[in-house]
Amino acid sequence: MRPPYIKNSIGGKIFDVFLVIFMLLFSFIMIYPFYNQLIISLNEGLDTTRGGLYFYPRVPTLQNYVYMFKRGNLLRGAIVSIARVIVGTATTIFCSGILAYVTTVKDFSGRRFMRIVYLITMYFGGGMIPTYLLISKLGLMDTFTVYWLPGLFNAYYMLLIASYIYGLPESLTESARIDGAGDLRIYIQIILPLCLPVLAAIAVMAGVGHWNSWFDVMIYNPSGKWDTLQVHLRRILLDVEQLQKLKSDQQQAAEMRKLTPESIRAATTMIVTIPIVIVYPLMQKYFVGGITIGAVKG
Amino acid sequence: MSQKQINVASITSVDSKKQKTKWDNLISRLKREKTLWIISGIALVWVAIFAYAPMYGILFAFYNYQPGLGLAQSEFVGLKYFKEFFLLPDVWLILRNTLVISGLNLTIGFVAPIIFALLLNEISNVHFKKAVQTISYLPHFVSWVVVASIMFTLLGNEGVVNEVLIKLGFIEKPIRFMGEGKNFWALLTAANIWKSVGWSAIIYISAIAGVDQELYQAGAVDGLSRFGMVWHITLPSIAPTIILLFILGIGGILNAGFEQQLLIGAPQTRDYHEVIDTYVYRYGIQLGRYSFATAVGVMKSVIGFGLVILSNTLSKKVTDMSLF
Repeated sequence: MRPPYIKNSIGGKIFDVFLVIFMLLFSFIMIYPFYNQLIISLNEGLDTTRGGLYFYPRVPTLQNYVYMFKRGNLLRGAIVSIARVIVGTATTIFCSGILAYVTTVKDFSGRRFMRIVYLITMYFGGGMIPTYLLISKLGLMDTFTVYWLPGLFNAYYMLLIASYIYGLPESLTESARIDGAGDLRIYIQIILPLCLPVLAAIAVMAGVGHWNSWFDVMIYNPSGKWDTLQVHLRRILLDVEQLQKLKSDQQQAAEMRKLTPESIRAATTMIVTIPIVIVYPLMQKYFVGGITIGAVKG
Repeated sequence: MSQKQINVASITSVDSKKQKTKWDNLISRLKREKTLWIISGIALVWVAIFAYAPMYGILFAFYNYQPGLGLAQSEFVGLKYFKEFFLLPDVWLILRNTLVISGLNLTIGFVAPIIFALLLNEISNVHFKKAVQTISYLPHFVSWVVVASIMFTLLGNEGVVNEVLIKLGFIEKPIRFMGEGKNFWALLTAANIWKSVGWSAIIYISAIAGVDQELYQAGAVDGLSRFGMVWHITLPSIAPTIILLFILGIGGILNAGFEQQLLIGAPQTRDYHEVIDTYVYRYGIQLGRYSFATAVGVMKSVIGFGLVILSNTLSKKVTDMSLF
């Protein structure tokens, strides 16, 4: 609501009308590309190539999705993707959280040292090639471990959680300590439940990051054994081999004649996008919260 | 004499007592902090391997590193690879692409979210405002793979964009958006803005929300119009945020994006999409020239670091605002 002391002139009212039109157009540009993929994915591939497909599928079919799940190893990709999100997010939250806790225990002698050792990693790094060589030296190539181990402790998450712990009343941990609780127990039973808001924000950040990442999958999984959905999509997008596979599949089975690379790609795009579209409006407040915490901390 | 000796003896005994208690203190402290040190130990091992070992790996840039050999067995070559980079025929092309793409992001791409935030702030209906803002985030949450896939479909020869343009009579033949070098910069900038405008605007929106309402009241008393308020009150109020983000942007001017180029770029557009980061990837990981690629990466980081310092000092001098 605009406060009443701001007067709206005639020019202002005309501007308001154009503003609404502009914002509607803006929203359309943001949404329509996704919607376009959706209707292509639900339309028969050959029919799509005739053009004129704008707002609803003309020959509705689910065969694009069926093909991807049946032939395209998409199910395995989906399982790997989901596993990566769950394992990667859970481990980084638990470990970054415990690190944050360690740096906030008031009279712990290593507290400053740990904080500094990790802060340095926020500003300096080895870069792409040394990291790549390290991963291959550690034997992490073509393993699932490469998805979560290199991100186990995160300095930025540590800062976010630590600043949240500082805001908690100290008496809580002190009374637990007097009652004889150990540090691990204090962390798991007191700190973690109290930190839920900030942990939720980080979970969304980390989870979306894991779901969307494809470059590390591509370079650390040359064999394709642990391919995620994103990499499947990239392959359909850029690999010629995948197209040839589709062609040979089409020659074998009659019901696949009507598939096209575009329709299959659209179906895969939708499978990758739909979870995000469902989750992000719900998680919005956590996300925005995370940004503002980061901004306050500088 | 004897008196003195006694004194000395008593002093040493006091000293050893002190040391003993100090030692005891340390031990009891370590005992008390046992769990904390175990946790810290694990975290230290991890950070040594996954964060500090790659930093050590920067030394590869000065050696002729071969996989399987350690640094000790590798030949020290000094700055050979750094010089080699500047002697390449491609180097100006790569630097040009990096700077042009970054420059576009730092001008058009930088102003777009500010304008969007200001316009959004002018919407009087709260629900409409909220809905538009939520919609504007959406592209931020999807991966570049998805964006690239959408672009190939929408902008392809048979895509909706070409189809509509032909139907409306603007063009006769479909425009080759993708895979055409000349269009690449515009295409990439548009994609960058589409993906990030809503998300980047958040910080401005919260800065605008933090502007003191009394300023607007005072402005109203002084007879400011709605647009005058934006120009004389809102913009100056969020100027610190804008400047700070611009400094950050200058520091990152060599980060011209990476995933975008790998996904949207085609072999035909190489002359326009190859930037330093994609170059490092191609030479280091695809061609296995580890030392050379590391050297290029190091050079980029050093120059980037220098740029942050430089822009920070400049901004401190000119506007009295700085990051550190």
